[in-house]
Amino acid sequence: MPGWVRPAALAVGVALVLLFPELVPNAYVLSAGVIVASYACTATAWSFMGGFTGYVSLGHAAFFGMGAYGTGILIRDLSLQPFLAWLLSGLIVLVITIPVGIAALRVRGASFVIVSISFVLILLLVSQAWEAFTGGANGLNVPRPFADLYRPDHHRIFFYLFVALLAVMLLTWWVIDRSRFGAGLKAVREDEDKAEALGVPTRDYKLAAYLISATFTALAGGMYALWFGDLDPIFQFSILLGAYMVLMALLGGVRHLFGPLVGAVVVGSALEYFKLEFGDTQLHLVFTAILLGIVVLFMPDGVIPAAGALLRRFGPQDTSIREITAEELLERNRAAAEREGAAAGRGGGKPSDGSGETP
Amino acid sequence: MDGTLLFQSLVLGVLLGGLYAILAAGLTLYFGVMRVVMIAHAAFVILAAYLAWWFHRETGLDPLFSMVLTVPLFFVIGVLIQRVLITRLRPATLTMMSVLLTFAIALLIEGLLGLFWSGTQRRVQLSYSGDNFEFFGARIAVVKLIAFGLAVLSLALLFLLMKKTRFGLALRATIQHREAAQLVGIRTDWVAGIGFGIGLATAAIGGTALSLDATIYPSLHWSWIGPLMAIIVVGGLGSIPGTAIAALVLGVGQSLLQVELGTTWAQTLFYVALFLTLMLRPQGFFGGRLAQRF
Repeated sequence: MPGWVRPAALAVGVALVLLFPELVPNAYVLSAGVIVASYACTATAWSFMGGFTGYVSLGHAAFFGMGAYGTGILIRDLSLQPFLAWLLSGLIVLVITIPVGIAALRVRGASFVIVSISFVLILLLVSQAWEAFTGGANGLNVPRPFADLYRPDHHRIFFYLFVALLAVMLLTWWVIDRSRFGAGLKAVREDEDKAEALGVPTRDYKLAAYLISATFTALAGGMYALWFGDLDPIFQFSILLGAYMVLMALLGGVRHLFGPLVGAVVVGSALEYFKLEFGDTQLHLVFTAILLGIVVLFMPDGVIPAAGALLRRFGPQDTSIREITAEELLERNRAAAEREGAAAGRGGGKPSDGSGETP
Repeated sequence: MDGTLLFQSLVLGVLLGGLYAILAAGLTLYFGVMRVVMIAHAAFVILAAYLAWWFHRETGLDPLFSMVLTVPLFFVIGVLIQRVLITRLRPATLTMMSVLLTFAIALLIEGLLGLFWSGTQRRVQLSYSGDNFEFFGARIAVVKLIAFGLAVLSLALLFLLMKKTRFGLALRATIQHREAAQLVGIRTDWVAGIGFGIGLATAAIGGTALSLDATIYPSLHWSWIGPLMAIIVVGGLGSIPGTAIAALVLGVGQSLLQVELGTTWAQTLFYVALFLTLMLRPQGFFGGRLAQRF
């Protein structure tokens, strides 16, 4: 791949994303675009933990919900400026996550997943039961930050806001990926015991990654609250939402900068399509389940590496000596020997038959 | 809280704890043999409850008879899940990926239940559904006692199987040290597969017991899997007696709290217990060494 392909593809991608609101036919598609952008934010935020350290959290919806409810409640009770409430809510989630993270990261693997799921379930219970604070099953109404805008303009602004948030996350990801901190996190993913033995402060690193991931997820949730304007415990603190994040990140490939984004575009568009076509049936659950099963069983590294492998198989051969078959090698050696023999002017010496060469 | 009420909720708590124990036993068994957290366990429980309800509606027979079909069926499904799906996963990421795989199975069951039998709430109506009897002043529903009896019976069978049979010996050996078990000639792959099958068979029993006394709907499994996972962590992952004790203690605790706080807040007990366990004793209160690293 020539050197200019990557930046060119990036520029085309950025241009397409920025022009998206101008290209869409109607406000419905635009609102679907906002949802996909919010999925891209949450999936990327998830991969700060799930991707770098390999700790799969099925409960990131907890942070999304807390960010959303925090924003809504701060606006309702303290009458804060909406975006100030949004930032403050992210900060509050950061503080809440510290003890949760310390408890959750005391254990590895299975127990960590159990804790992450339990955290969502407990918040679901609390937000349903504590009606005076969260509005319970009646939902929580979040006033719109731009009250005098029409709906399509509102969608357009929030599309760009989500994209800006995503850009900040991707930049953070890129910086961490190249840092010592990122290398430590990846060491945890590959072999935590060895990393610890080599002096990586695994607990602090994991906690830091967890906090970054949770805060970004909460910011995405708060942004969603400002955009959508209506919160319900069942949808904000839903395990399904957490599962979407995992599915998107894994599908795209957690080791790639744009993996979760690609996954979010694929899965998010498919989910919106299913909602449009099949409405309230449970078909989207079946679809999500089958897709998740396929990803886990057949391409746990995501579509980007899987597609890359496929391209390599059908594309031109790499110039590795291992790609040459024994006959081709024999042929080449014989030709070389003949040339050598002709150049030397005599047919003496042993003719090389190539059998001594290892391909 | 007066004495009768206290005693009543204590008895109900024990009955509930029995049900929790048989449901969590399967979960702890999977973890023991494969280090797999089977998120789909509760979904299979609800599936069994739906099958019992459907069996009762179609045949008019008592839903308990549906176990003749569901228990072998679930056993086979369990063996297949382990032999066909779980073994395909890479060993290095087995724990995390198996969680996602079984999560996908849970979603699939929930979605299919919704497609086939809609999201409507279902309940088995039996001639003895409303029957009660007095037990030292406490009123106990007959269906709850049947569910408890079923749970105790199957737990006892499971215990005997684990402790008294050759297969149980092989199963415990596989749980304790897989490689060592292989060295003495145990076919651990098949033992793990059958262990999975037995775990899923307990889900069939638990689901049938649940169908007698609960209103069921497709997404109900989410409100079961949380408490069940909390129980196996508190009990010490992989230990069946520990799981049973934790199930009883938490079941009684939930039942007692319910009187004061109502059902929703009482459920948070499980999560509080889970977080306290992780803070104080991550290996669980009754379990062995297994949980320390997982």
